[in-house]
Amino acid sequence: MYLEPMRKRRAPGDDPSIAARLAVLATAAVILFAVLLFRLWFLQILSGDQYSTQADDQRLRTVSISAPRGVVYDRDGEPLVVNRAGLSVGILPMDLRSPEVVIPRLAEVLGVPEDEIRQKLEKGKSDPYRVTVIQADVPENPVVSYLKEHGLEFPGVRIEKSYLRSYPRQAFATHILGYVGGISYDDLEKEQFRTLGPGAMVGKDGVEAVYDSKLRGVDGIRTVEVDAAGRPKRIIQEIQPQPGSNLVLTLDNELQEVAELAVAEGIERAHQEGFTDAAAGAIVALDPRTGEILAMASYPDYDLTSWVGGMKTDIYRDLTSPEGNKPFFDRAIKGLYPAASVFKPFVAAAALRNDVVDWTTVFNDPGSFKIGAQRWKCWKDDGHGDVNLVEALMVSCDTYFYNIGSMFYDMEGPIFQDGLEEFGFGRTSGIDLPGEAAGRVPDKDWKRQTGQDEEARLWKPGDDVNLSIGQGDLLVTPLQLAVASAVIANGGDVLVPRVVRQITDGSGNVIKEFETEMRGRVELHPEELESIRRGLRLVTSDPNGTGYGAFRGFPIAVAGKTGTAEKKPDDDYAWFMGYAPASAPEILVVAIIEKGGHGSSVAAPVVRRVLDQYFNTDSAGPMQVEVTE
Amino acid sequence: MSVLQKGTDRPSAGFSMGRYLSNIDWILLVATLALVAVGMAMIYSATHADRNISSPTQYVNDQAVGLVAGLFALVVVSLVDFSWFVGLKRYLYWGNVALLVLTLLVGAERMGARRWIATPLFDVQTSELSKLLVVLALAALLAEGVELRGRLRFLLKSVAYVALPALLVFVQPDLGTALVFVAVLGVMLLVWGIRWTHAALLGGGALLAATLVLRVLPQTFGLELLKPYQIQRLTVFLNPNQDTSGAAYQLSQSKIAVASGMFSGKGYMDGTQTNLNFLPAHHTDFIFSVIGEEFGFVGSAILLLLFLAVLWRAFRIAAASKTLHGTLIASGVIAILLFQVFVNVGMTLGIMPITGIPLPFVSFGSSSLVVFLTAVGLLQSVRVHSRTALYGGRLRGDQHGPMAA
Repeated sequence: MYLEPMRKRRAPGDDPSIAARLAVLATAAVILFAVLLFRLWFLQILSGDQYSTQADDQRLRTVSISAPRGVVYDRDGEPLVVNRAGLSVGILPMDLRSPEVVIPRLAEVLGVPEDEIRQKLEKGKSDPYRVTVIQADVPENPVVSYLKEHGLEFPGVRIEKSYLRSYPRQAFATHILGYVGGISYDDLEKEQFRTLGPGAMVGKDGVEAVYDSKLRGVDGIRTVEVDAAGRPKRIIQEIQPQPGSNLVLTLDNELQEVAELAVAEGIERAHQEGFTDAAAGAIVALDPRTGEILAMASYPDYDLTSWVGGMKTDIYRDLTSPEGNKPFFDRAIKGLYPAASVFKPFVAAAALRNDVVDWTTVFNDPGSFKIGAQRWKCWKDDGHGDVNLVEALMVSCDTYFYNIGSMFYDMEGPIFQDGLEEFGFGRTSGIDLPGEAAGRVPDKDWKRQTGQDEEARLWKPGDDVNLSIGQGDLLVTPLQLAVASAVIANGGDVLVPRVVRQITDGSGNVIKEFETEMRGRVELHPEELESIRRGLRLVTSDPNGTGYGAFRGFPIAVAGKTGTAEKKPDDDYAWFMGYAPASAPEILVVAIIEKGGHGSSVAAPVVRRVLDQYFNTDSAGPMQVEVTE
Repeated sequence: MSVLQKGTDRPSAGFSMGRYLSNIDWILLVATLALVAVGMAMIYSATHADRNISSPTQYVNDQAVGLVAGLFALVVVSLVDFSWFVGLKRYLYWGNVALLVLTLLVGAERMGARRWIATPLFDVQTSELSKLLVVLALAALLAEGVELRGRLRFLLKSVAYVALPALLVFVQPDLGTALVFVAVLGVMLLVWGIRWTHAALLGGGALLAATLVLRVLPQTFGLELLKPYQIQRLTVFLNPNQDTSGAAYQLSQSKIAVASGMFSGKGYMDGTQTNLNFLPAHHTDFIFSVIGEEFGFVGSAILLLLFLAVLWRAFRIAAASKTLHGTLIASGVIAILLFQVFVNVGMTLGIMPITGIPLPFVSFGSSSLVVFLTAVGLLQSVRVHSRTALYGGRLRGDQHGPMAA
């Protein structure tokens, strides 16, 4: 309608080319708009998905919410390891815009070397959306408040709430509980830690390590929308963390406390008796019917709190110094010692089962034992005279067992060793703690393979003789001795010892109950078994028994065995094994005091102290015990 | 109305409101107002959550002031017979130059540029006003010189005529607006009837000048007419990955904003790029990105169609003008609109340099809004006064040719 008059006017006009020129311009305009529309189509329709992802990536931050780690209780529900809220400082790699400025600044505030921060970041950069923890336990004042006040100077630095381990009783059941720490770079590669990132806390020792996957729980995820400056604006999505499961240990906290104390007292007693080198020891108390560890300690120990938030270098240096006596080392399950006389019941059992002797067999002990020109001394210089097996156990007559060892030597094959290994010696017990030692029962093959020279590769009568009194090349752990002794106490079952009874959820419901587990059985004729038990019973009840002094006046019948291990050039190692009530054993205790001297006067009172606590008998034994063995 | 009557040199003429209203281009007006409305809505979306504003509608309020002033100017200018501007050519031109010089002398400096003259009521961005003044002066010059179309001398004179104000704007510095002047000159010369040989000559000259400024002078003589950041912004869209300055960041955030709007957008006020401040200058130069993000392809296309509607009406007005002068004025307005829309939108989409020119009618900024509404007033004036007898009597200026004032 408008076009008509225009054409009419233009046609006769003096410059019809103007219309053409406008048409060129209009065409150009249409083309330009077409270009814009095409570009819009390309960006929004064809590439929209990809740019949407980019938009989401830069506005959404996924932050993990730490799951509280499971609590560890003793068998009566007494908490041994709990959590406390703490603050950790970390870096979100993708928001760290100027590391060359921020890292030195942060290093100064935290008091951490710059290189350490860089190293951690290097490992964490594979996942720029995950916070790399730089320091786990940072004090609110002044560090965290300073970082918060000067937030703008620390772009990319994140302060997060975290859970830290707390130990209500500090140095208590140290080696059983274990500790947690930042995951190592090697562990990060492992399948079981697949879901974890750098800075995650995992169990490093004790039940914390063995039950790590149960205790750890599942971290929650919070997706936060942030603005261009990285300031959080709102929470988009939140998946609550699943707290870790709790552990109920087999430990009895009161017994554990007394056991730890008793070892310390034992060392003190050794000092009083002149064995001033004594500085370490271990104790194992278990239920011989089930294998449950009721108390177990290694001395010296240390306060687990020192691991929280990373152990300080000077504390670590002190703990690892020679004067520290290896507090990290759990002597109860890793310490290897000659078993000495505590080993005799198993030698007796092997001899009885292989008809080397019966319980009525009598050997004369003139004070020593001879094969050819070689001579082995009994601990009692003037000898025990004629003794049978029961008496030999009672008085710990070495000569009696030298005879047995010598007779085993004359037999074909490793019958002796097989009989001993049935009790669990020479292999790990299978306890639910890491790093247990296997020990060693020496035999012909072992000697041939490891001997330094021709002479040392030869299995000789002396090897069997030494083995018969638990010396020579034999090595056992206190836990192995306890498990083996339990076989005699319970009538033949080789049990798998354990420290965890139950796994429970947050409301206390039992998720898993651990059953008594048997890994073997030593078939002993009732008469044979009874003869060994009688011998052990007499150790504490007969005035001639080596443990009589230590258990004088104890109201409950105790069966036991003393041991005084020679480990030249050290002072002797004092052993005692005891279980009670002798007729129906509920508890079995093994104690060792390194370089403590005599089993009868140093180690036996330690065991008595624990039994006293267990039976609530309060019969504080005599401080001074007459030395027998 | 006395001014109008004086300007018509037609004693018998009497103003007829009915004829005025029926000759107004209503489609143009409605499309224009629709663009302004969209602009204000988007400004609100982009700024309501800003931290340092007194009320969520602060920017919208400021824009509304511009709208009222602009509508007033639109009506006034549409009532003025455009041919009246021929006689005012000198005053328009030299007034413009004086204004630009004044800006350089007393202008308020913000972010390293002197572009504003502060008045008690509001700050005026003189380069915006300058665009219209250049169009009016050049239209008069070219209309008067229609017989000299073959003369290179006249052509060079008209180039110099625009070059002076362009240079004054360039040194503010306001590179974007200076480039608008170049577009205006080019389009108006084209419509005016420049010889193709002359056009080729000018085009070649422009390319040569650009080469000198961008490459030869800085590299050979160390003379930097453009500041490094300007060159950076001009060329970053060609190579966004090599840039480490903020320009590439702006560009990439704008592309992310637009593209993540996808087909139908994230919804009004739900643009994450906008509201979380990833998108810089989201209420001014990058307002189109907000539309793209919140209304997607559909919204962006509708907005472009509104601009196309405005241009379509402007072309009709240019073609319908029975005087070359009117056609040239309309062409000048077309040049500004087309150039600014294409460069601004193209910038947000990553196909045009970052030159910092606003999107007409839509971007926040009252100077720009007033000037563009005035430009619409000019278009209406060309239309109204080219049609029969607004002031009674016959049409004036029947022929394309030199006109006496």
